[in-house]
Amino acid sequence: MRTVIFLALRQLWARKVLSGIAMGAVSLGVLVLIAMSGVMLGFRGKFLSNMLKVSPQVTLYDKELLREPPILQRGEPLLVATESAHEVPTDRVSRIKRPTEIIHAVEAMEGVIAAAPVVSGSAVISYGSKELPVEVRGIEAARQERVTPLGPYLIAGRMQTFQASTDGVLLGSGVAARIGAKLGDTVRVGSPKGEPRVLKVVGLFEAGIPPVDNARIYVPLRLGQQIVGRPDAVGRIEVRLADSERAPAIAARVETLSGYDAESWQETNANFLSLFKMQDKITGFVIGSILLVGGFGILAIQIMIVLSKTRDISILRSVGFTRRDILVLFLAQGGLVALMGGAIGDVLGWLAARGLSHVQVKMETFVKAESFVIDDKPEVYLLGLVFALLVGVLASMLPARRAARVEPVDVLRGQIG
Amino acid sequence: MLGAKTILETRSLTRELGAQVKTRILRGIDLTVPRGQFVALAGASGSGKSTLLNLLGALDRPTSGEVRIDGVELGGLDDDERARLRGERLGFVFQFHFLIGELSVLENVAVPLWRRGVPRAEGERRAREVLAKLGLAALEARTPGQLSGGQQQRVSIARALAGRPRVLLADEPTGNLDSANSQIVMETFEQLVRDDGLTVVMVTHEPSFARRADRCVRLADGQIVEDTLRK
Repeated sequence: MRTVIFLALRQLWARKVLSGIAMGAVSLGVLVLIAMSGVMLGFRGKFLSNMLKVSPQVTLYDKELLREPPILQRGEPLLVATESAHEVPTDRVSRIKRPTEIIHAVEAMEGVIAAAPVVSGSAVISYGSKELPVEVRGIEAARQERVTPLGPYLIAGRMQTFQASTDGVLLGSGVAARIGAKLGDTVRVGSPKGEPRVLKVVGLFEAGIPPVDNARIYVPLRLGQQIVGRPDAVGRIEVRLADSERAPAIAARVETLSGYDAESWQETNANFLSLFKMQDKITGFVIGSILLVGGFGILAIQIMIVLSKTRDISILRSVGFTRRDILVLFLAQGGLVALMGGAIGDVLGWLAARGLSHVQVKMETFVKAESFVIDDKPEVYLLGLVFALLVGVLASMLPARRAARVEPVDVLRGQIG
Repeated sequence: MLGAKTILETRSLTRELGAQVKTRILRGIDLTVPRGQFVALAGASGSGKSTLLNLLGALDRPTSGEVRIDGVELGGLDDDERARLRGERLGFVFQFHFLIGELSVLENVAVPLWRRGVPRAEGERRAREVLAKLGLAALEARTPGQLSGGQQQRVSIARALAGRPRVLLADEPTGNLDSANSQIVMETFEQLVRDDGLTVVMVTHEPSFARRADRCVRLADGQIVEDTLRK
């Protein structure tokens, strides 16, 4: 095997320029793989980590899955009319019944760290002459800190002040900027169904997710219930888990336990996750195309070498090299070109990732960032090498098989009559 | 059974070429070559001498008949076993030197040894030994492109000898050389037979070279028409 690798290296060295071109194409593929994956994974990682920090991993909604049958129907299921064909007006507020019991039961479940009640709804915040529609969230600050802590994201004010206040509000940094409110200012928050309240700004938060920072405010639970017109109602229970990947399984168990609809963060963010999946496919397609070009380069060069090296193959076969040796010789050449190209691509990719992380960009869509966020996973570099090697070996397969099939006698007979 | 001194033997050897229209190149060749004999295969172009040499060298398979090399019947060997046999027991010299252009003279000679698992340093030592014997020691670092035609052919002889073969098969080894270099090649063969007891089978068109062999086997239309023992 060492002799075969030695010969492969010598033949590659003798065709430095051609080998270099094929190597360059593979390097480019791996470079793009690393740079694009770095940016994509960085963006995704930042989005998901931010999202998971400010969003619960499981959310229990006020939608009952199995309603209890009316009292009369329990005795005579077939004889009592229980449904009306027309819509019945109702002022019943949808809510989670016995929220405290459910919270305790959920917190007792294996894998659950904490659970907290929340009420939310749409409202309008006004400060002076400025008004802005917002999503108001009523929370129990102490409990909520164990589920989706806001403390780390406060850029003004203190969490303790919010916990102690009865009329305090935390504003998203974007909300504050849009209406021009500052810490200590008084704002008015109201909704069509609830009671408008005058609140004191006790803190500003910035989660780094523009849809949250630009549209959300937090108030104490009771105050929130009054503002959105759902007195004493808990609209959802948010749950924090030890392992976010177990969210779908735990959400299913929470549903069974409570009888209410529970959603994992993956389900809640399904749109974003499917977007990421599509992004993966596009990235894979681009990288695959570039590597394919590299592969074709290797294929073309290898075919050329096999055609021009038929005599050498014959002589190697006549001095004891087996067909397998010849196959390995050409596979090794393709593999070595690809592996070296992959290694160069890894280095260039690493440099490109460093460079991109210093490029100034202003992102304010899903994630707020000043520059590209790069996720430099070592696995991606390894993947680059493995992909490159695979492309090189696969591209060499055809010419290598052709070389291995060379019958020395055919060549020698042709040459010497 | 082969005689104790027999190194090559063919029995009723035939070789046909062509898929649709078959051309019979060899017609029932029976040949026995004892160890240490220098045999010249002579004959006109198309008489079948190169085909016979390729069959003796396990480079080709007969249509029918048997070939035995050093007691081994080739019919029962697969491709890899034939390759190993070529590497271990046979040496080839062709009309064209067929040296590998990317390798130095020393590497060209040592590569077959390395392939057989001879350690690198030992392979180089043995290659140097053969090169020195053929007067090529000073050229070991050169590439084939930097050598004259005669030197290239002598390097290809060195490559064939480095593996210490039992039989050296040469197909028109002087066909591309001038008379001075041809003389050197012929003298080398004679010396190898005389001093080392090597068996040499050489295809040649040149009657004067055929006469220098111990035995001259003449072919015509795929058959042996003359088998003359001179020494």
